[in-house]
Amino acid sequence: MNNQTDKNHPDIVFIGQPNAGKSTIFNALAGTKAETSNFPGTTVTHTHSHVNIFGRELNIIDLPGSYSLNPSDDGEKVALTHLFGEKPDVIVNVIDASTLGRSMELTLELIELEYPMVIALNMMDLAEKKGMTIRTEHLEKVLGVPVIPMTAVRGRGAKELLDACCDVLDQKKAPSFHPWSRDVEEKIEELMEALPPELPVVANKRFTAIKMIEAENLFFDVMLSELHPGLKEKLDNIRRDLKDRHDSEAYEVVAAERHHLALKYFEDCCTVKHGPQTGLLDRIDDVIMHPFLGYVILAAVFFLFFFIIFKVGNPLEELLLGPVAGVRSFLSAQFGTGILFYLFDGLTQGIVGGVAIVLPYLLPLLFLMSFLDDIGYLARAGFMMDTFMHRIGLHGKSVSPLMLGFGCNVPAIVSTRMLESRRDKVITALLIPFIPCSARTTIILALVAFYLGPLWAFGFYVGNLFLVALLSRIISFFFKSPSPGMILEIPSLKLPSLKNMLAKSYYQLKSFIRFAWPILIAGSVLLGLLQYFELDRVVNTLLSPLVEHALGLPKDLGVTLVFGFLRKELSLVMMLQALGVEYHGLMMVITRSQLVIFTIFISFFIPCISTVAILWKEIGRKIALLSVGLNIVVAVILSLIARFFLGL
Amino acid sequence: MIPLSNAPADTPLKIVEIEGGHGVRRRLLSLGFHKNHVIEIDKRSILKGPILIKNRTSDMTVALGRGIAGKILVEVVE
Repeated sequence: MNNQTDKNHPDIVFIGQPNAGKSTIFNALAGTKAETSNFPGTTVTHTHSHVNIFGRELNIIDLPGSYSLNPSDDGEKVALTHLFGEKPDVIVNVIDASTLGRSMELTLELIELEYPMVIALNMMDLAEKKGMTIRTEHLEKVLGVPVIPMTAVRGRGAKELLDACCDVLDQKKAPSFHPWSRDVEEKIEELMEALPPELPVVANKRFTAIKMIEAENLFFDVMLSELHPGLKEKLDNIRRDLKDRHDSEAYEVVAAERHHLALKYFEDCCTVKHGPQTGLLDRIDDVIMHPFLGYVILAAVFFLFFFIIFKVGNPLEELLLGPVAGVRSFLSAQFGTGILFYLFDGLTQGIVGGVAIVLPYLLPLLFLMSFLDDIGYLARAGFMMDTFMHRIGLHGKSVSPLMLGFGCNVPAIVSTRMLESRRDKVITALLIPFIPCSARTTIILALVAFYLGPLWAFGFYVGNLFLVALLSRIISFFFKSPSPGMILEIPSLKLPSLKNMLAKSYYQLKSFIRFAWPILIAGSVLLGLLQYFELDRVVNTLLSPLVEHALGLPKDLGVTLVFGFLRKELSLVMMLQALGVEYHGLMMVITRSQLVIFTIFISFFIPCISTVAILWKEIGRKIALLSVGLNIVVAVILSLIARFFLGL
Repeated sequence: MIPLSNAPADTPLKIVEIEGGHGVRRRLLSLGFHKNHVIEIDKRSILKGPILIKNRTSDMTVALGRGIAGKILVEVVE
């Protein structure tokens, strides 16, 4: 199924609940060689790396954080598909030792697979601070799985973990399942016996039977009633028996069995000294989650966010763009005005354009976001923003994809994967193209702030945010079902790890470099050709009903709209070129009102081509087309309103 | 028995029943919300926002939207 991992070498799969420090361990072992690859059939990625340790070659694979093997978001679905489809040689279950009790529910579920397995008991330092004493040898005996205590952020235990993996690999030592209450086991056996031989078995018969019982009301049920009506009836009977006897749904009975077992083992293997637990972190939490102070801090964080975009990114970008003019004159000296000039010019413009987005804007933003994520602030921001997000038909979890949108819409749309419900995902993805990304910020700064003053630019931004809120309300109106609401774990605050932050920023940057950048370069080359063949006049004529008559702008600006689709930030340069003026002479050829209308229109009228492409890939064709339509409609309406009020 | 959304803060509460659709119930289960767990409302955000729940049994803090909190029925532990 997945050809990207090399089958000649053993696969070691990392799985654990979110925030267990899985990626820290993975990065410590895999280093920077980690590759992100698309998973067949889905668009969610997992990371894998090929490492050579003590002369052994291993494939190590990092799966998205999962609370259980019953998927509820896209990330968890990837984890499952991989576990079931690939049959890894060793599973490494990463556990946050400070939350051992609840983490063991996933562990028990993994043991049910009866694959060779090792437990990485991470964050031992945190557990000690909480007053927990974990008897790891005893835990190892009880679970029947090797347990390696670790503190991965300080690099403790990585070698021992690898040794244990190699041991398990050599001995092919697999744990066996832990039996539940007799009556539940009887029902499971009943179903196991009823399984027809031609039905594909995942891991083992018992595991398959359990998963079938748990799959109530899921797609699997519908499929089964089509394929095996008899088996479906048997399954329903078994579920009903379980439900009658335990007074809860069958899947809840199964979850409760695991839960009780986990609690029992926890009490067996761990003692907790109860004491007053108002540590420093709790006190910090009291401040940053304070109903008043918390929002002041949140506002300060947002301010910092925009400060980076405006005050750090913009001057940096200008520094970077300086040498480009040099390249252009070099090219023109070299090739004159032939087709080669336009091709190479387009190419360099595309490459440099990417650098000018990544270095000054995107990288600092991604780094700041991963810092906020790593210390646990992003989840808290989601909690505090939930109230406002609710008013616009979304909830707190959409905050971080929307924030990412200010850097670049492409990674922002990729990050909507963390939203569980399709409804929230679609609404958020439709809103992201309205968030002014760094490229559009450049235009707003260069046109509005420069010619009309910083207050106008600020007003433009605030108006933009109101527009996003209004659109969100309107879009969510069309979804009959309300948002299922927020269920968001708030992890404990912790010190950031530079390695983690770098790895996370790099991971998100990849979606830009691998996906958006090539499109951007191709777009630039296409623009070069467009100019060479002088097709801009054709475009201007075609678009003149919209540009000239509806918007009241000079006809020559028509072609900049096409540029805007291919590359937003180029619209400004192209605008000057189309009007045949220098930057400082702009106001001599167009009026202030025209400038405002042009900025409004170019900002909203269509998401750039990379955004449309990623929408298509991540959310679907229909939504991508809907997004294009929505943006055009909104841009036209807003520009007309602006035209009306500015009296043109 | 009262919905969690109307329960008093900083008081131990026992989960009696979780209502609502299967999707929500599964999600809550996987986040450690089982019947008979003792939970506590930690802080309330302003403007009728989400509720921060400390799960004493599973030692986990989870933010729940009001709608979902209304589907969890609890009773005060005396």
